[in-house]
Amino acid sequence: MKPSRRNLLALGGGAMAGVVFTPLPWKLLDDTAIWTQNWPWIPQPARGPVEVKAAACSLCPHGCGLQVRMAAGFPVGVSGAPAHPVSGGALCPLAFGAHQLNWHPRRLHEVRRRGRAASWDAASMALRAAAAEGPVAVIDGRPGRGASAILRDFAGKSGAYITAPGPEERSLAPYAAWSGVPASALGYDLESARTIISFGAPLLDGWGTPGRFTRLWSTHAAGLGDPELRLIQIEPGLSHTATLAWRWVPARPGSDAALAAGLARVLVEERLVPAKGPVPATSVADAAGAAGLPADAIVELARMIAQRAPALAISVDGEPAVAALNLLLGGGIVQRRETAAPQAAAIAPRAVVIDATVPWEYEPASGAEVFRFAAWDGGGSKADWLLPAPGFLEEITEHPSAPGSAVASYALSPALMDAPADVRGAAAFVGGTPADAVLARCQEIFRARNGGLYRRGAKDAVPLASLESAARLQDELLAGAVWVDDPAGSRKVRCELKEWPAAAAGTHRGGWADAWSAPVLPPLATKLYQESNLREVPARSRI
Amino acid sequence: MKKRRYGMVIDLDRCTGCGACSVACAAENNVPPAAPRATERTGITPLRVQPVSNGASGPARREVFIPLMCMQCGEHTPCVSVCPQQAVEVDSATGIVTQMPQRCLGCRYCMTACPYHARYFNWWDPEWPAGMEKTLNPGVATRMRGVVEKCNLCHSRLHAAEDKAAAANQREVNPADYVPACVEACPTGAILFGDLADETSAVARAARAPQAFRLLEKLGTEPKVYYRSNRPWVRALAEPRTVPAKEVQRG
Amino acid sequence: MPRTLLAFAIGFGAALAAGWGAFPRVLYQKKVQPIEFRHKTHAAKSGTSACGDCHALRDDGGFGGIPATASCAGCHGEPMGATKAEAALVNDYVKPHRETPWLVYARQPANVRFSHAIHTRLAGLKCAECHGAQGETDAVKPYEVNRISGYSRDIWGRSMSRLRRAPHEGMKMTDCEDCHRKRGVEAGCLGCHQ
Repeated sequence: MKPSRRNLLALGGGAMAGVVFTPLPWKLLDDTAIWTQNWPWIPQPARGPVEVKAAACSLCPHGCGLQVRMAAGFPVGVSGAPAHPVSGGALCPLAFGAHQLNWHPRRLHEVRRRGRAASWDAASMALRAAAAEGPVAVIDGRPGRGASAILRDFAGKSGAYITAPGPEERSLAPYAAWSGVPASALGYDLESARTIISFGAPLLDGWGTPGRFTRLWSTHAAGLGDPELRLIQIEPGLSHTATLAWRWVPARPGSDAALAAGLARVLVEERLVPAKGPVPATSVADAAGAAGLPADAIVELARMIAQRAPALAISVDGEPAVAALNLLLGGGIVQRRETAAPQAAAIAPRAVVIDATVPWEYEPASGAEVFRFAAWDGGGSKADWLLPAPGFLEEITEHPSAPGSAVASYALSPALMDAPADVRGAAAFVGGTPADAVLARCQEIFRARNGGLYRRGAKDAVPLASLESAARLQDELLAGAVWVDDPAGSRKVRCELKEWPAAAAGTHRGGWADAWSAPVLPPLATKLYQESNLREVPARSRI
Repeated sequence: MKKRRYGMVIDLDRCTGCGACSVACAAENNVPPAAPRATERTGITPLRVQPVSNGASGPARREVFIPLMCMQCGEHTPCVSVCPQQAVEVDSATGIVTQMPQRCLGCRYCMTACPYHARYFNWWDPEWPAGMEKTLNPGVATRMRGVVEKCNLCHSRLHAAEDKAAAANQREVNPADYVPACVEACPTGAILFGDLADETSAVARAARAPQAFRLLEKLGTEPKVYYRSNRPWVRALAEPRTVPAKEVQRG
Repeated sequence: MPRTLLAFAIGFGAALAAGWGAFPRVLYQKKVQPIEFRHKTHAAKSGTSACGDCHALRDDGGFGGIPATASCAGCHGEPMGATKAEAALVNDYVKPHRETPWLVYARQPANVRFSHAIHTRLAGLKCAECHGAQGETDAVKPYEVNRISGYSRDIWGRSMSRLRRAPHEGMKMTDCEDCHRKRGVEAGCLGCHQ
């Protein structure tokens, strides 16, 4: 009995009719729909309890207080630590994506010698060999740390310990020259100023501690017709700061020195300020010509500046004439109570060690062998050795006084993540023990008994004397507390100025990209640079 | 639980255009870094900051930075009425216009309908550099290529606040526990957030002030995002006809 | 004609058998939990009867889920008895401080937001109303994974037809909706999605 074609069709028909009465097609449809929602190449967040930890940002020297949300052992969100004595709870846009930086494609994972993979042993041997042949220079981006002491000791008496100044310290350079106090111990008294004349300094756009001037401006200047705090921005282009300033003075590029001299002349001639110190030779007409402004405008501007004292003049690039104008206006430059690193002697080093805290733009021009520590490859480095350092929140970091701050402070940030296996910091590489150095720095602060401790979220400080030991201070700092010196510890700096300074060579720098030389940006910064028209892409910071 | 109408008042006089809100928003909501080909039209920026000038030239020229996100329209919500998938709704308890990417079909009618250009299409699958997926916020699911997303007023933070309240046997959320990422991130505190239905709240009082305004109010969609400024020319930006089109966008 | 009918009937019957009998067996794959665990024994020895004593809500409202290995270490720091499972727990997880990779019966997709705090504290639901009386079982039930979707069989429920299932069976969106409708609770899309 052979089955016919008709029988086979009936069998198939029966099967099709039957399958409809089983869960098979319906369940397959449902499961397939769910399957399409779970493509394996689309990552999904890990599950785990969320906890919030205190830390400090190590992306720039300002050390803003962070609250880091952790889930399943990894940071999943960053926000500002409320009432933080240094940053006041504010952060710059980059910090909000900083927790992702450790997985940035530019992250350094291996020792590289002139572009080729090498080993730590080879680097260590090369440094020892070079140190035996001649003096060693060490460049530190954040002086005042315990680790800085290790680096300074390593440079030794014959070598040089050099600090790399940020934009705030570069603008303070003339005062350092006139007072003998290093720029790293000088600061601006922004809080008492009622008028601020900024010669191109991007005060509201990445200059100084985020949340310091920005906060002052937002409470005393923003939206007020005649604000308590007048910001006068002298800048050729309409920058973010210029557009937010109370007055924007579009002076010609490179005319800062002439304009400052012209303003000083009006101030002295009209007796708007007590005459003290030297007077510039520049006439108001010359200044007006150089700045491309009418002479009346300069006179009016000078009167405006004198109207609401105290006034503070800030230059973006350390223009001496602006500093001299500021001294005429009464200063506003303070010296923090801290031991600053002495000026380095000029030597011709055989080797240069660059700490990971030094911005990428610092590239020694000498013929020395360069050992460059970094967590991320900033690109374009000509360093002989590229040495991978711990990244964001991967090691205990120290946060000394923010550049340009008026009061000394010190904070620690705990390590919230494990560093990759083969990374090292410069202090450990040159043979120091960073953990001991941190404790030593805490002991120094503890012994001096100055200032107080701001615990996490607290508005008032507890006196340092209430702590029983330096180790306890260190524990408190690692838990998110910040040591801040007594404001009375800072005093006005004395400057000896014999004659009106000659104009410094060079043009007006200014602009955000210059002030903030972070070549590797958090991946989420693409939201600012690529997908919005809020910012132009900085030339060296392609993501 | 009482009916709420979450909204915000953004003080444009205090916005410095730093973009912290924009970055914090992306981190909170698991928005990936831009795809290599992404532009300001095809990228995903649930909150973006738009610089707009007053049209003057010379020293009188000024710019204002306007943070733009979903305006949470309360009436005739354009995206809700066009969605064929019911992937968008105005939440009756909170007033939040909620977008469900998982339900979205990708037709992009809502993007066309939205008067504020506050909706974004995922032109690419989200991609993070290797290992970076460990930093994803566990409260927000990632989206895939082909769906639309927008600001949900950091709904995961509302979830967390609700959970916290429920753990303490409370039905009402503590306002301090529910703060969207942009509000928390703003370094000048320019964004005031809260319940507009609560007449006594700071945000409701600020929204009633004469300096407060909303964008495209004439459309009658009752947006719940207000702006405020003491400068008349900034307030005039609310109705775009008063500003020549070429001045609206910089550069 | 009868032969055609017979063939149709055979086809119909075979399809029914395949769809109801073979299909679930092919679709689901049985997996064993990494460690044998007895709820009853643990409840008796620790003197607890409430689920929340071990599966606790955190203060922030998050749900602790299955206790971490650290909480096993209190008693199981050293093997308590000579069973194989005991040795596996101590040597593989407790001593190396490794978390046990439990297979979670109620695991939902990442876009689902479920608040244990709201359902147990505010709505007053008992754990067993959704999870069944797990605490009274002698051994943990077998875990079956759906080969296509990757989720546990408990999401769909034991019954393939979903017609006659126990009240706690099934954790699909329709099950959430049914319960919400019954109780008249509105949550909105983003009430339960994230």
